[in-house]
Amino acid sequence: MEESAYKSESMHENAPKKPPLEALVDFFKKDLVQYIVKRLLMFIPTLLLISILVFFVIQLPPGDYVSAHIAALASEGEIVDADYAASLRADYGLDLPVHEQYIKWIKDIIWTPTDSTYYRLYGSHHNWKYSFAYGRDVWDVVNDRLGLTILVTAIIMIFQYAVSLPIAVYASTHQYSVGDYISSIIGFLGAAIPNFILAIVLMYLSYKWTGNANVGLFSQEMLQNGVHLYNFGEFLKRMIIPIIVIGTSGTCGIIRSVRAQMLDEVARQYTLTARAKGVPERTIIMKYCFRAAINPTVSGLGGVLSSLFSGSTVTAMVLNMQIQGPVLFKALQAQDMYLAGAIVMVQAVLVVIGILFSDIALAFLDPRIRYSGGGR
Amino acid sequence: MKKRLIALLLAGTMVVSLAACGTDDNSNSTPTDSTESVQQSTPESTPESTPESTPAETTPPADASAFAEAPMLADQVTAGSLPKVEERLPVKDDVFVDQTDAAGTTLEIGTYGGVINLAGAGGSWGLSRPVLEGIIRYNTDGSYYPNVIKSYEHNEDYTVWTFKLREGMKWSDGDDFTADDITFWYYMCHLTNYDTKKSWAALKETVDGEDAWAALEKVDDYTVTWTFVNPKFPADFIENGDFKWCWAPSHYLQDLIPDSVYVENSYWEKTGLDDETVLLNAKAKGIDAATVNDLGKAVCYYWWNEDGIPCLNSYVLTTKEGNNSRDAQLCILERNPYFWKVDAKGQQLPYCDEIHFNATSEDGQDQLMFRSGELDILEVAMQDISSLLTDLGDKAQLRSFAGTNWGSYQITFNYTCKEANYAELFANSKFRQAISICVDREQVSGLLSEGFLEPGQCAPAEGNFGYDAEWENKWTEYDVDGAKALLEECGLVMGSDGFYDFADGTDFVLTIFTYTDSGADAAFPVLEQYYNAAGIKCATKDIEVSAFDQEIDNNDWYAVLGPHTAVGGLSLRSRVQPFVPIAQSAEWYGEYGTYYGTGGAQGVAPEGDMAKLVEIYEQWKSTPDTEERDQYTLDIYNLHKENLWTVAYLKAAGAYNLVSTKIKNYPELLVSDDLYQYQNIVHYWTLFKTE
Repeated sequence: MEESAYKSESMHENAPKKPPLEALVDFFKKDLVQYIVKRLLMFIPTLLLISILVFFVIQLPPGDYVSAHIAALASEGEIVDADYAASLRADYGLDLPVHEQYIKWIKDIIWTPTDSTYYRLYGSHHNWKYSFAYGRDVWDVVNDRLGLTILVTAIIMIFQYAVSLPIAVYASTHQYSVGDYISSIIGFLGAAIPNFILAIVLMYLSYKWTGNANVGLFSQEMLQNGVHLYNFGEFLKRMIIPIIVIGTSGTCGIIRSVRAQMLDEVARQYTLTARAKGVPERTIIMKYCFRAAINPTVSGLGGVLSSLFSGSTVTAMVLNMQIQGPVLFKALQAQDMYLAGAIVMVQAVLVVIGILFSDIALAFLDPRIRYSGGGR
Repeated sequence: MKKRLIALLLAGTMVVSLAACGTDDNSNSTPTDSTESVQQSTPESTPESTPESTPAETTPPADASAFAEAPMLADQVTAGSLPKVEERLPVKDDVFVDQTDAAGTTLEIGTYGGVINLAGAGGSWGLSRPVLEGIIRYNTDGSYYPNVIKSYEHNEDYTVWTFKLREGMKWSDGDDFTADDITFWYYMCHLTNYDTKKSWAALKETVDGEDAWAALEKVDDYTVTWTFVNPKFPADFIENGDFKWCWAPSHYLQDLIPDSVYVENSYWEKTGLDDETVLLNAKAKGIDAATVNDLGKAVCYYWWNEDGIPCLNSYVLTTKEGNNSRDAQLCILERNPYFWKVDAKGQQLPYCDEIHFNATSEDGQDQLMFRSGELDILEVAMQDISSLLTDLGDKAQLRSFAGTNWGSYQITFNYTCKEANYAELFANSKFRQAISICVDREQVSGLLSEGFLEPGQCAPAEGNFGYDAEWENKWTEYDVDGAKALLEECGLVMGSDGFYDFADGTDFVLTIFTYTDSGADAAFPVLEQYYNAAGIKCATKDIEVSAFDQEIDNNDWYAVLGPHTAVGGLSLRSRVQPFVPIAQSAEWYGEYGTYYGTGGAQGVAPEGDMAKLVEIYEQWKSTPDTEERDQYTLDIYNLHKENLWTVAYLKAAGAYNLVSTKIKNYPELLVSDDLYQYQNIVHYWTLFKTE
């Protein structure tokens, strides 16, 4: 049933051979605009719900920033009196009921008027509040790590896709060959070994072999003078371990799913038909099978934006990479709720946007997917 | 073999410290530097108890031009961007000549240059520990001498204290350090509570039942006096551990003090600035604060964490973007070109150009960095010492800090427990004795510390003031049957399930709180076996530290393993709260402390020995005589020995640093304590590096 639908669709879509650009324009003209607008409107209630959830979940652990802060001071040998704690709570509004705290928080994020101290201090209409733990504006703290986080995660992602897609295609077209087995074994090992263990082992080996453990992405010199062309090689050298550690685990997942999908597609009737008609094997694989097979991978891209933003928390900590993940961890530990709230909120927004993007990409990849119901 | 070696080393350490500390807690204010022109008239400076650590007297270079400076500073002088070294130092007689370390060893004359690499700075105090310069400075034997100030003295009845400053001394930005900076700190930063620390007891007294504060007067540019109504004795003033500094850079902070906090005084007028202007001024100086309270705390209290604020420390936080925050992966402190200390040869200190704090996010990364030579000094746990030393050979040396804690794996009980039957049971010393003797300490030592920590009791460690072998061994003989007999004497009855119940038949369950990462969570399963064997049913609750504190404050607890504020320590001078129930602070006195902390408004009024502790403390506080004070301290100690409100199973651990052999002048044996500001006692400005 589905197959015939597919055939008629695909024949219908692909019959008039338009240049790709025109096809793309056509595609956007149709029901998509309407769909996007609808989705964008849906953002508002979704994000409000998420914000409520985020705010209340962050408040769940017993105690608040002030109690965490006082505990930290106590372990440094400083004793803090109860009056001070009370004045801190009053200052930060932590003594208000939770729902009032929430309303204050979300209102300032959405719009802080021009006539406010915050606007005069920071020149921004969106007050994400103050990070207690860092003693700075929340957005400054987030911004600090943003560039590096995106760079590192992007490099790793490019590595993941660049390595895994060719391997997956190779493995599926050479099923049960030696190469297929080798790639499967490596992929499984990558997925089975927890990232943090692999990271520790690699750091240890690096120390044993080179005398340098390569802890962190930057050498002391880079941390003082920044990364420039002359020390970029050293930076790439320090990227090796993170790439292997974070890259391999993700790679396996992609290889396995694309390979399985490809094997399905290769056995389909349309493939047989194309082959019978004498279409070159390369075209069959790349133009038809592969396009269909990466469907699940593309729908998984919804989370990419969000992970670009936060990076991989545990591995980043093990490798001492100063990216967003460890900041979130520290914020949660210190009950620095505005910072944690901001990071989680931005992640949520990015997930929502990412899902929209991946839906659009999917529609382009797979014509069976339509948005305005009943069109078929 | 390795372990034995280390054990021997530790034992040696203890013996040495014992020998050196015969008069510990005997506050001798012996000046270490020859520039001390004013002899302290305090009774503590009696020469007969001068500790061995007092350095030999030497004079500063006769010729002022004999002062030397680091090559990097000499270059700046040549380039005209920095005044000459003799203009940067205080006048010749007021320069501080640093010749011995805190343990009394004569320092080697060093060479300039290099970077000291440390692990991450950690919490709010992290950056200050190695470099903070206080009013006075302590030696490891407890003796002390004036540091930033040139001298202090008091009148006969202890109501007026005079501080003399070093003439010509400068802030790290070159501005003069004078009495105005002291009046500014006191009247604009402290009495305004802008620094959030108006609670400092050193400057406070009670007059007619009300809190009153000292009157500070500027006599001349280099002399100030603190005047009290009642006598203010050394223990509560100059020796008070909280009273670390009393100055702030008026020239830098003036536009950061809002009118909203102003208190009337005869030295400083209102700045005319509202809260928002002050925040904007701070922003322009690169200081981020959401409220004026945050700003006050940042610039008047934790000022070492903000770049650009001038100070008197040996090293100053860099203003270089990216390295100027304690949260940065690499945080840099640079040498203070105006530092006021020189070595015996007249070379301006510090020797090294910079101190680097290398933040890591996981345990063990710092060890890898130490192994590969990226760190020079690293604090390590006992268990890691032997493997690191074996691998590193002669590249690293071990430096120990004697501990001042009263024993490891402490358990204490809620004597003010809401449930009367529990409170009554805990108050019975036989119960505590049973809890103590039902545990095989030898075995616990092996299981929990790999034999590093010897069996012991909650008592001052050997070498510390008040050490008492009998106390250290009290209730340590392993005896399960004896414990059971004691529990029965307490009125507990063996139930059918093999565990004791209360006499009325209700279940007795010892719920033991621990907080995450205290190390006590690992100890519980071991101790539980012994408690169970003695017929005590237990449960554990391991919670995050802030939640833990909350439960303690709410009085919702029974017993605590590894208390957050342990009993005891170096001395009452360091902190009174761990010894005496006077604040809402330590677990062992629970609500009794709250009673005194809130002036009787909340908490439970103590009786018996708990109340006696506070009585003796009041006497301790109001006597100027050192010997008499020591006797009061011993009286307080005796009550602790008598009652053992907290039971410990093993002796206290010290602290251990691995130091690269490239680093010179790192003292052999130190004492780690809050009074000494932990790492501060290393004297980082005297360390130098050889290649």
